[in-house]
Amino acid sequence: MFISKKKPALVMMTLVSAMAIMSACGDNKSSNTLSNAVPSNTEASSNANASAPAAEQSTAPAAESVDELYAKAKEEGKVVVYSTSGRANDAAETFMKQYPGIKVEVSKVKSDEMMDKVTKEQDAGQFNPDVIITKEVSGAVEEEMVMQGRYLKYLPEDIAPMVDEPYRTQAEAYANYVEFRTLFYNKSTYAEAPVTNWWDLTTPEFKGKVYTADPLSSPAFMDLFTTMVINSDDMAAAYKEKFGEEIKLNGTENAGYEFIQELFDNGLIVLKGSDDVLDAIGKTKSDALGLAVSGDVSKNEENGWTIAPIYDIKPKTSVPDSGYFFIANKAPHEAAAKLFLRWMMGEKDGTGEGLAPFNEVGSWVPRSDVKTKNDISFEELNLWLFDGDKLYNTAPKVRDFWIKQK
Amino acid sequence: MANKPAVTVKRPRLHNQTLNWLTNPVHLIGLAALLFLAYTIVWPVLKILYTTFLWRQQDVRLTGEADPGHFTLYHWTRVLASDMSMSLFYKPILNSLGVGFAVSALSMLLGCGLAWLVVRTNIPWKKTISFLAVIPYLLPSWILSQAWLTFFKNGKIGGTPGIMQALLHVSPPDWLSYGFVPIVFSLSIHDSVFFFLIVGAALSSMNSQLEEAASVSGAKRLTVLRRIVFPLVLPSILSGFILIFTKAISSYGVPALLGTPVNFYMISTMLYSSMRSRLTTEANVLSLTLMIISMVTIYLNQRVVGRRRSFVTVTGKDSARTLTSLGRWRYPAAGMATAGMIIISVVPLLVLLLQSFMLKEGEYSLSNLTMHYWWGGSDPDINTGEKGVFQNPIFMLALKNSLYIAGVSSVIAAVIGLILGYVVARGRQSWLGRAVDQVSFLPYLIPGISLAAIYISMFAKPTFIIPALYGTITLLILITVVKELPFTVKAGSASMMQIGRELEEAAQISGAPWFTRFRRILLPLNRKSLMSAFLLVFIGAMKEMELIILLITPRTETLTTITFYYAEKGYEQLMNVILMIIIAIVMTVYFLAVKFGKADLTQGIGGQ
Repeated sequence: MFISKKKPALVMMTLVSAMAIMSACGDNKSSNTLSNAVPSNTEASSNANASAPAAEQSTAPAAESVDELYAKAKEEGKVVVYSTSGRANDAAETFMKQYPGIKVEVSKVKSDEMMDKVTKEQDAGQFNPDVIITKEVSGAVEEEMVMQGRYLKYLPEDIAPMVDEPYRTQAEAYANYVEFRTLFYNKSTYAEAPVTNWWDLTTPEFKGKVYTADPLSSPAFMDLFTTMVINSDDMAAAYKEKFGEEIKLNGTENAGYEFIQELFDNGLIVLKGSDDVLDAIGKTKSDALGLAVSGDVSKNEENGWTIAPIYDIKPKTSVPDSGYFFIANKAPHEAAAKLFLRWMMGEKDGTGEGLAPFNEVGSWVPRSDVKTKNDISFEELNLWLFDGDKLYNTAPKVRDFWIKQK
Repeated sequence: MANKPAVTVKRPRLHNQTLNWLTNPVHLIGLAALLFLAYTIVWPVLKILYTTFLWRQQDVRLTGEADPGHFTLYHWTRVLASDMSMSLFYKPILNSLGVGFAVSALSMLLGCGLAWLVVRTNIPWKKTISFLAVIPYLLPSWILSQAWLTFFKNGKIGGTPGIMQALLHVSPPDWLSYGFVPIVFSLSIHDSVFFFLIVGAALSSMNSQLEEAASVSGAKRLTVLRRIVFPLVLPSILSGFILIFTKAISSYGVPALLGTPVNFYMISTMLYSSMRSRLTTEANVLSLTLMIISMVTIYLNQRVVGRRRSFVTVTGKDSARTLTSLGRWRYPAAGMATAGMIIISVVPLLVLLLQSFMLKEGEYSLSNLTMHYWWGGSDPDINTGEKGVFQNPIFMLALKNSLYIAGVSSVIAAVIGLILGYVVARGRQSWLGRAVDQVSFLPYLIPGISLAAIYISMFAKPTFIIPALYGTITLLILITVVKELPFTVKAGSASMMQIGRELEEAAQISGAPWFTRFRRILLPLNRKSLMSAFLLVFIGAMKEMELIILLITPRTETLTTITFYYAEKGYEQLMNVILMIIIAIVMTVYFLAVKFGKADLTQGIGGQ
């Protein structure tokens, strides 16, 4: 009719007209979101320091007593939790018995998706969650959520003195449990840990016998390798200790990168997830080693594995993967949120039932007054510091390096 | 009508033309459809496109040059022309294309072959076979890849040895165990039902007089297939091809499980990685490349289909359908088809069912059987006290929500698909039809997470006449409908293309308004395609995870959120119970549809 002949250009025209229609429709909206998005980003980045006090603010009124909180929380009636871990569900069950009248609603969301969800919600003026339980994503949670005042730190004054550093003052927030990536071996093959140094994995003995979950799809695994790159001096020292000579770099930038490259050269096998790795080494007798999450040791029986984690590797065993607790910005049920957080922390003396799901084999509660279920205490673990800022900026480079190894 | 250029046209004529153009229901509906698609699909895609040309705060991580908020081509250069491009883009894209074409071809073979057997021949057990064909799609796709590994895995990924290795003491080569070959097989088996349904619908509405005429004139059976049947179902085949192609290149779970051990990455797996590593813009660029590839494929498809004049096979005249006789191959063919289907669908299903009754995994003894996971109470020794599914306090609520979301969205999706399909089929020669065709298939290629994230900001606040939908079930329904548009529109247009205009014209002359024509003529004639669309969207919605997880607010529990919870805890049997319940529901819906909707997939359209 209007256009009687069909030309390839028509496809484009169609699109253009569609765009025109649509931009006309969504005009007022687009100007909102887009103009908002840009300044809020720049603003937040430039005044990272300025917004830090905002984050600390919420630690101040932490002195409220449990009774006061419960009274207020009953009026609020419920608490909404976004959590990366199912442990929150277990704590919620005991909480609702202890504090009738407050309903806990837990949504399980992956850490990176949670960042998107909360950011979009808050930008649109919707404040849904009260409690945030999340792992780090290579420092992005701190940079993109904590510094922007979207997630707020909360550590009650009466509990703070018992909390181990860095989680009392230095870290981005209090973490109720700490896990990490480490090497696992099969107990039925080895009587004791077969390696003591990360560089052992690059020796012919372990050629084609090292498994890892794919760091490309699980950033927490990449964090360990990134930390090795950041602390390349440690890696170089460990190399010297192992082989008795200075490390020679084969075209890589430092000992951290060199380690990754030598792992690949030695036939590193990448599997989809942590469970696949433990299936590979733990289901039947195997002399291979696998990189997996320390907390997985608790699934040993359930999955028919005979695996054991190694808790002492040189130069350092690993980097912590902490389960942080936050209150969400403008939480609609703030008192209930605080009450639930306290419950999960095990209350003032750390003996509360709410802590039980977090104090498990393979994970540590960084409180001096809480007895761990592991053979080794949190202080004795030889871990690198989780340097969120450096990780955030180094992780993409290490990821690039990893991709190029393919 | 308006074949001459409009340069010298006078006002009144232009006015008349416009009026005339607008009174055509195809155009009116087409415009409405385009508006809907523009808001729900094109707008989000443009937003994604826009972000790829801007520096973000996150980009400071990649390069010191980043200047947040300003224009840049960095992201495109990084993906397409940097020292990263080979590993980040070119190798994965070749893998994606390879898998896409191979899966489409294999599914075509499986789907069309089966459709032809069931619809056009006198093969026995038709109902059984067409029911079995739906089952692989019911199973989560990872189950098929897991099954593949159980048979063919070699020593490389450790664990218990594969069955082939255990029995034959031969280690299968890597190419058989991982990467391209198993990915193609798993995806083809899972998705070929789309081909089966689309092509089956087309075949069943084909007038067999055409075949008879050819046979009478002395054409051999193969010639009839090649010269008559094939060209007539070509639009359906091409639709199926593009659909499966898009589905395959955007799939994540199967390539991740089977590809990683041999470093076989596709764009979809790379994209997932970018997303999880908070390199959102990189993920956006990657998903746009997938969209561009598919736009090209669709365009080529339109060229092929557009050149042919007509595919009309349903006209006002009724016709008897005669079936091709398979002769002595009748029973062997039926046996082989059934056996094949049983191996790929019934066996995995039964294994899962059995596992849901097994107290401990992998222990095959009578004493190990239990109903605990179905309705047992809390036992601290099993799954740390987790109760059976029917005892789970939120189970009933979740079941209700799932049924509601899946039920409502599949009905809406099927009808919208048919209406848009009508626009595509009738407007095949105009820009309107092509635009609707092009745009409607994009949702498969927008990563679910990105789409959901954009929908949060689009629907969190009231805009125009659209109320704030975020947090309501309506938004979940909307996004399910949108996400399934590629399939529903393709199915709708393939089936609409076969229906002659004269039926509508006759009604029009008799004074029937468009809505009556749609309800009384088009809807009944397309019943079967409508039914398949409904069924597959229903299944898809029951299985959907990604979209729902992000858009759900804590109050909306569904069966998939329970599955998610069980999966995280490693409660496999409980997951299997939920899966079985979902499958039972879908089967019930299927049988109800066949019985009361007269939508038997093996019979001709309109329940002839």
